[in-house]
Amino acid sequence: MTAAAAPAIHRPRSRLNRRLATQVFFLLAALYFLLPLVAVLIFTFAGRWTANILPDSYTLDWWAQALGNPDLVGSFWTSIVLATGTAILDILFVVPAAYWARVRNRRLRPIIELGAAIPFCLPYIVIAFGILQLSGIVVPALQGTFLLLMLGHTAIAFPFVYWAVDAAMAAAGVERLSEAGEACGATPIQIIRRVILPNITPGLVTGSILAFATSFGEFAMAQVVGRGVRTVPIWSAEALRSYISAPGTFNQLAVITFITFALLFVLSVVIVYLNRSQTVRLVPGAAEVGEAERA
Amino acid sequence: MTSGVSLQDVRKSFGNVQALDGVSLEIESGELIALLGPSGCGKTTLLRSVAGLEQPDEGRILIGDRDVTDVPTRERPIGMVFQSYALFPNMTVRQNIAFPLTVRRRPAAEIKARTDEMLELVNLVPQADRYPNQISGGQAQRSALGRALAPAPDVLLLDEPLSALDALVRTRLRDEIRRVQQLVKTTAIYVTHDQSEAMAIADRVAVLNHGRVEQIAAPPDLYETPATQFSATFVGSRNALELPVREGQVSLGNAFSVAAPAGASRAMVFFRPEDVEVGSNGVGHPATVEFKIFLGATSRLHLVADSDGQQARFYADLPSRRAVALEPGTRVSVRVAPGDVRAFPIGG
Repeated sequence: MTAAAAPAIHRPRSRLNRRLATQVFFLLAALYFLLPLVAVLIFTFAGRWTANILPDSYTLDWWAQALGNPDLVGSFWTSIVLATGTAILDILFVVPAAYWARVRNRRLRPIIELGAAIPFCLPYIVIAFGILQLSGIVVPALQGTFLLLMLGHTAIAFPFVYWAVDAAMAAAGVERLSEAGEACGATPIQIIRRVILPNITPGLVTGSILAFATSFGEFAMAQVVGRGVRTVPIWSAEALRSYISAPGTFNQLAVITFITFALLFVLSVVIVYLNRSQTVRLVPGAAEVGEAERA
Repeated sequence: MTSGVSLQDVRKSFGNVQALDGVSLEIESGELIALLGPSGCGKTTLLRSVAGLEQPDEGRILIGDRDVTDVPTRERPIGMVFQSYALFPNMTVRQNIAFPLTVRRRPAAEIKARTDEMLELVNLVPQADRYPNQISGGQAQRSALGRALAPAPDVLLLDEPLSALDALVRTRLRDEIRRVQQLVKTTAIYVTHDQSEAMAIADRVAVLNHGRVEQIAAPPDLYETPATQFSATFVGSRNALELPVREGQVSLGNAFSVAAPAGASRAMVFFRPEDVEVGSNGVGHPATVEFKIFLGATSRLHLVADSDGQQARFYADLPSRRAVALEPGTRVSVRVAPGDVRAFPIGG
């Protein structure tokens, strides 16, 4: 911070102030986002915690119990597989559809946009009962299975993937790249694999992480559609209910919450990193500026 | 290797807009033809139809002897250069140029040799391993040219390839494209709205308007003898005056008098500023200098003359040295040789 402030002395005062304001704002924002996480982390290590701001004693028991609880670890892995599967299915469905709607048949776009609004207009619980009724008529064998729940999550998470992928496609100018690919003699599959996918990576990553997070934290549909499938939110709800009889579950819940947070945080950092490198690559003239500075 | 292109009564409409209204065109093998016209004249639609990126409603398109009208783009023997470069950002210049060969699954050694040859041809050997965002616009367009030519296409299609570049780079790259095209002797179709670009680069220029070919001619012929009023207005900067027809003649006082188009009561006449002879000896028609613009070697005089009680305004270009004394307000006399005046009928 001192290094940054030193050359700023020669600058006009208002600019210095603006920079200071930016830093203060950044610090406040960081506090706002990190404090709850820190609180959860402290709770996972708290032994006795009375009316003080910090715990009276610390312990690793909760971590040991949480990680040694087959019920909890099992639901954690169930959720991981469910969320990963949802993200992969969404990418597989959305990329070809978004590409087709952009390049081949733009009249599909309003239909997809409308479909993308549905999970926001209807509560998940309503969609969940809808899926339950429909699957009861069409594929009763799927009811209560992991697969049906994954399909349900794919349906509610698809708008995030669609928006992220569609925006990345707009930024990359896929219509133009696609025509150039065709003029080069490439088949549609070659175009998607070698030209489109490498140029929409940030959108793919953003979209799949949003789909992952949506599925990982979803409760209502897991409760209704996936009876028998024990995800982390389902386990957490049960832990909350049994708080009185088994007080330790709260701390275990904190452990799993923290792990989930940390996982998503790492994933977000990956997104931001990927997006930044992509921005540098796509901004025209960025390289020339760099060269001029070096010269 | 290279072959001509034949367009036979090609028609295409977008909703109510008739983009191509029966275009027929024979392009010789090895010829560079420029499609020239204002925006919306159908020139880009025509080019994209040859590429297969648009499907004509009617008509046939032949490349050589092969009818390609229903052949998908990727199977047509074409190479295309786009206005916006359309290089693949995830590939280096070398990978971009190699792309048409890799997707055709050519042997690696052949790809390498051909790519090196192309890099050499478009002078990009030093930039071969850079990404598109690390090179200038001119270099990007040369990469695109190399990519288009790599599979040795029968026809090279260029869609306003210079529009995104600044003026200096534009003329250099224009000459570069011409040099390369002559070297590889490929048939080329070049779309532009810039008439001087079309004149400079093409063997023949096709002037398009409202989805029709107005005129197709070699640049000097087009410049000297525009066949239609549209060609006359669009090609070169011309004076345009609307004048009455009297006894089969249309004239501006004593400046010129030419035969009027048959049956017209009024005519639109066109003549070039450089064809206006400006003198002070009283031969011709009197005119007054309104103002003068210095353009370097030449100066442009804005003149006003009396024509049947109406004021006629037009320009004259003359060498700057001879224009020194011609300040605003100077009375001069003007003449235009009848051979330099073209008259077209107005109305029925």
